[in-house]
Amino acid sequence: MCETCGCAITPEIDYAHSDENVLIEVLQDLLAANDKVAAHNREHFDRHGVLAINLMSSPGAGKTALLEATIMALRDRYRIAVIEGDLETDNDAVRIRAHGVPAIQITTGAACHLDANLVHRALHDLPLAGLDLLFIENVGNLVCPASFDLGQHRNVTLLSATEGDDKPAKYPVIFRASDLVVLSKADLLEVLGDFDPLRAAAALQALGRDTPMIRTAARRVPDIDSWLNWLEVQLGAWRPSAHRPRSMIAASVGG
Amino acid sequence: MHELSICQALLRQVTQVAEGRGAGVVESITIEVGPLCGVEPALLATAFGILRAGGCAAQAALVIEETGVTVGCTSCGAQSQAAPNRLTCAACGGFRTRIVAGDELRLRRVELRAPESASVA
Repeated sequence: MCETCGCAITPEIDYAHSDENVLIEVLQDLLAANDKVAAHNREHFDRHGVLAINLMSSPGAGKTALLEATIMALRDRYRIAVIEGDLETDNDAVRIRAHGVPAIQITTGAACHLDANLVHRALHDLPLAGLDLLFIENVGNLVCPASFDLGQHRNVTLLSATEGDDKPAKYPVIFRASDLVVLSKADLLEVLGDFDPLRAAAALQALGRDTPMIRTAARRVPDIDSWLNWLEVQLGAWRPSAHRPRSMIAASVGG
Repeated sequence: MHELSICQALLRQVTQVAEGRGAGVVESITIEVGPLCGVEPALLATAFGILRAGGCAAQAALVIEETGVTVGCTSCGAQSQAAPNRLTCAACGGFRTRIVAGDELRLRRVELRAPESASVA
């Protein structure tokens, strides 16, 4: 039996220990329960033909501002809804609703991330049958959200120009799990002068997935064309059968 | 601190295993934690110390096996050791790899106290 990777071990095999205690090989992912609910959520999305996008970033990177600009640009062509995750307040959901699309607020209290159960509860308040596109705005945090599959089809992580360009090297798990990285507040690059987009792209590429990075500016003079193009491609390419089968980390490994 | 949520999931799984075997006392729990799973082993151990109270694992030891990162190159096929933030192929420098090892977050095994010794104790 291979002791290194457990390749010859069948799950749930018992064998006697020296002091007659029983050792049970389990070999189960600790997030198996979450992943099961996430798969259930994904079935909901697939059945209704909704493309679900998990939007992640550190606090203040501009997730809600990007969503507001996106809704204004696309609301006449696609039916959009948003699930908002925050520790406290429904401020972001109020901002989204002001643009005439449904927004469900999940207030997590002390919890630093959304999980599949929280999203599942929110789904029951959403008119899924009448939607094309669902954004799940995760809690602002570059660590914890990376571990929890929600049932989304795509992961998008924002990296704003006011942060360090070495963020992908500092938070490899979340950036590797991303299908797209959005360099937000790009109109500030010139003003700030210390964020090098090439260095950020190199740190991202070092994570071994060749993840695309695009630039957006959502305020003052909005420029989100590359983001809208990416969304259009995803909406066009997306088929219910093309969903990610396992947890977001596991899925990103093969992707 | 999502380690608390993860630890709750761990204890639920362990309790299921123990109850499924009719065992009352868990002696030890072994888990595998890779650098790319997004969980900090030391924080998980702290969470375990808090959350294990009152259940079948109240006196259990938590053994954390930390794994290294190995990537496989989708271009040249080579496998190489890697740092968590340097996951490119060490052989050809390719920018597309898959994780062979290093993203584990698994309950590996549970050690249950033998029924007779449990009754003696």
